Amino acid sequence: MATEQELSDFLKNVEKRAFKRSIYHVRDEEAALDIVQDSMMKLAHHYGDKPLAELPMLFQRILSNTTLDWFRRRKTRNALFSNMSDFEASGEDGDFDLLETLEMLTSSEGTESAQDATERAQVFHEIEAQVQKLPGRQREAFLMRYWEEMDVAETAAIMGCSEGSVKTHCSRAVHALSKALSAKGIKL
Amino acid sequence: MMNLKQKKADILQDRFGLKTTSYLSAGTADLPYDISERLRAARMQALSVRKVTKIETASRVVNSGGSAALNWGAYDGLSWWSRIGAVVPLIALVVGLLAINSIQDDNRAQEVAEVDVALLTDELPPAAFADPGFVQFLKTPH
Repeated sequence: MATEQELSDFLKNVEKRAFKRSIYHVRDEEAALDIVQDSMMKLAHHYGDKPLAELPMLFQRILSNTTLDWFRRRKTRNALFSNMSDFEASGEDGDFDLLETLEMLTSSEGTESAQDATERAQVFHEIEAQVQKLPGRQREAFLMRYWEEMDVAETAAIMGCSEGSVKTHCSRAVHALSKALSAKGIKL
Repeated sequence: MMNLKQKKADILQDRFGLKTTSYLSAGTADLPYDISERLRAARMQALSVRKVTKIETASRVVNSGGSAALNWGAYDGLSWWSRIGAVVPLIALVVGLLAINSIQDDNRAQEVAEVDVALLTDELPPAAFADPGFVQFLKTPH
């Protein structure tokens, strides 16, 4: 069973990422704060006595469900779902070569430290903007796999889909992001 | 060949994903002060809810303790010493009650005997001979 200090440290570690992820989904700062607060309350109230190792998966699932609830409530209230574009299929990619772009983007690893703060901030904002443009499921799979560092099986369990679907979502997300970033002349 | 290419693509994909999210982590680390404070307040509130959960857990333990005491006779896990330790106070209680009862009986008999002695050794008042019951008593052979 996680102690109060362990639970506090865990929440402190995930709260900022959870807030940002919620913002990418709902695009509303107040709503994102509410979602993160609700999720933390639910975790502490219902699963506060669970072992520390189980908390990450439980929290991610609660966060996903709370975000989904927010969309449902909003849909009911406004009778309008503003993020319908999230569920549209990604467009045609033409002759875009993912491997070539990824190799180009990741080959500049040694020069990263030379970037100044302004340039890093610009890259950060551009990445944020492109992540927000991803379809919802792709964004969720991408952020859980690479930001929350969950494996494919865990991500699939949280998203309620197959591992194959997670791989596909991640692949498409990487494909779209690398294409968008290289189009902006950004090298990571 | 295809397998190798796929593996290479997976590795590059993972590297790209981790690199991209490292930028997100760096940018997210310095959120505005008010947002950080509100997140901290939310965390504190969540932890206070957990405290209520802890109290509930404690009362559950107390309840299960009660049921364990009620079911004591059904388990054979207790040692003989534990059983003797539990039975000895009961025996002491019963013996004590019997002793108190016996002492009280003795005291009552003693009081009655004292009254009888006082009556028998006292001088007979003349009025006693006017009592027909007493006269009858004297006529009865003993």
